[in-house]
Amino acid sequence: MSCSNLFHEQTARQRIASLVDPGSFTEFLPPPARVMSPYLPQLDIPVSFDDGLVIGRAKLGGTPVYLAAQVGQFVGGAVGEVHGAKLTGIIKAAARDSIPCVFIAESGGVRLHEGSSGEIAISEAMRAVFECRAKRVPTIAVIGADIGAYGGMGILTTCCDFRIMTEHGRLGISGPIVIEKWMGKQAYDSSDRALVWKTSGGKTKFLLGDADVLANDDAASVGAAIKKLLAKSAPVTIKSVKARQQELERRLKTFGKTTDPDAIWTALGIADVAKATLATATEFTALAKKK
Amino acid sequence: MKTPLEKLFGKSAKGVVVKDKLMVGYAEVGGQEVCVFGTCDGTYIDNDAALRLAAHVIDCIENHRKAPIIMLVDSAGQEPNRTAEMLGLASYFGHLLSCLQLARQNGHKLITVATGKAIGGAFICYGMFGDRIDALESASVGLMPIDAMSAVTKIPVPILTKLSRTMPSLEFGAKPFALLGGVEEVWSDKDDYGAKLAAAVASATTDDNRAALGKKRGGRKLALDVRDRVLAETAK
Repeated sequence: MSCSNLFHEQTARQRIASLVDPGSFTEFLPPPARVMSPYLPQLDIPVSFDDGLVIGRAKLGGTPVYLAAQVGQFVGGAVGEVHGAKLTGIIKAAARDSIPCVFIAESGGVRLHEGSSGEIAISEAMRAVFECRAKRVPTIAVIGADIGAYGGMGILTTCCDFRIMTEHGRLGISGPIVIEKWMGKQAYDSSDRALVWKTSGGKTKFLLGDADVLANDDAASVGAAIKKLLAKSAPVTIKSVKARQQELERRLKTFGKTTDPDAIWTALGIADVAKATLATATEFTALAKKK
Repeated sequence: MKTPLEKLFGKSAKGVVVKDKLMVGYAEVGGQEVCVFGTCDGTYIDNDAALRLAAHVIDCIENHRKAPIIMLVDSAGQEPNRTAEMLGLASYFGHLLSCLQLARQNGHKLITVATGKAIGGAFICYGMFGDRIDALESASVGLMPIDAMSAVTKIPVPILTKLSRTMPSLEFGAKPFALLGGVEEVWSDKDDYGAKLAAAVASATTDDNRAALGKKRGGRKLALDVRDRVLAETAK
């Protein structure tokens, strides 16, 4: 693993460049096209020429894919009207062309400065994801940035066929600061990074089954995981939703009274929690399989 | 004085059971059987609530073939909670949405009526997934009220209030949300809810027309054009 390739440290365009076949990426509505937020200038907030979302087409191991990658550096990757419309557009293109869609998430959710438009935009993107799924076009979410996927974007990734996470990625709805404000610092200390990552991070989500793959924090590992999933889909059927219903009921019954992520790790077969905490994704996956 | 359920479903409202601020059951609209579920009293939706609503959608798919599904929304959202997050509340919501998608694929029309609070995550986790979305005039629809938006963004209330006059996206309520295309029709207190609902069921299609509606009504001018531009460029 090369240190210049740490997935969580890369920008959206670097992530795409390091994942796809060299020279195969074409961006749509790129920065020179200047498709930007109409809201932010009126609030005296700087705009971004791509509105914080990179979309395009590329090849991955020779297979054509559509890609969307959020730019966390721009208002936390939050979804406004234009950002959301670009996202919905690329997912709808995937459905139309039966080309798999890879979504690299890095977002706190709706862009509050744009109000309800961003909220509707996420809902439209969800409809587009399910348009893909109805046609068995794979939708794959990658969550490997520190910002993670929160709010409506967290929910959107759970609508996709598959989720790939790294231990840096976090998946949830309410962020740690919001939970701390609501429950009190005694109940949840948002500055306790170990606790926050164990509550919402990739390792716990992988153990619970909400992340399908736990990848190492480098593009090679994430890329290998995507390639394995490109030929698969997880159609929504009566059998699949009934199985999921049972699984989620069992999870709530078993763990609904605990606040301790270590208790979940232990119950799900991690014998040495301290060792597993420091394990790489490869090692952790092996430990989780031993149960 | 009629309850909101009676206003919507008349005598058949008795088929809808209200328990722990969740409603599930079957009723009739215009003589046709419909599946009903939703939230009331502005309750929070947690993991358990999402599962109970999902179970009802699954029951409808299995035992009430093609019955339209009426989703009523009066919820303040999800309660920020450590255990709920740890257990993957997002996945519970994703599951509820998947059940609704399966219903759509199996020919069930999905109709939403925002009856009270339809705020943020509470609206996105089922109501906004409807084929057709209507709201009562009195419903609190939107991302968040202006004072809450000001508290988070640090932009003063007077500035947001002034801007909201030309940008309905920043305003809170059923009418501005309709200007964005997020709500098809706003019902007034004087309307016959039963008749409105019957018309909504009859007219619903599976096309997501919200971006087109937002452009037509002038509240969300760019969403449709940007999406169409992406679709055009990817088709080259």
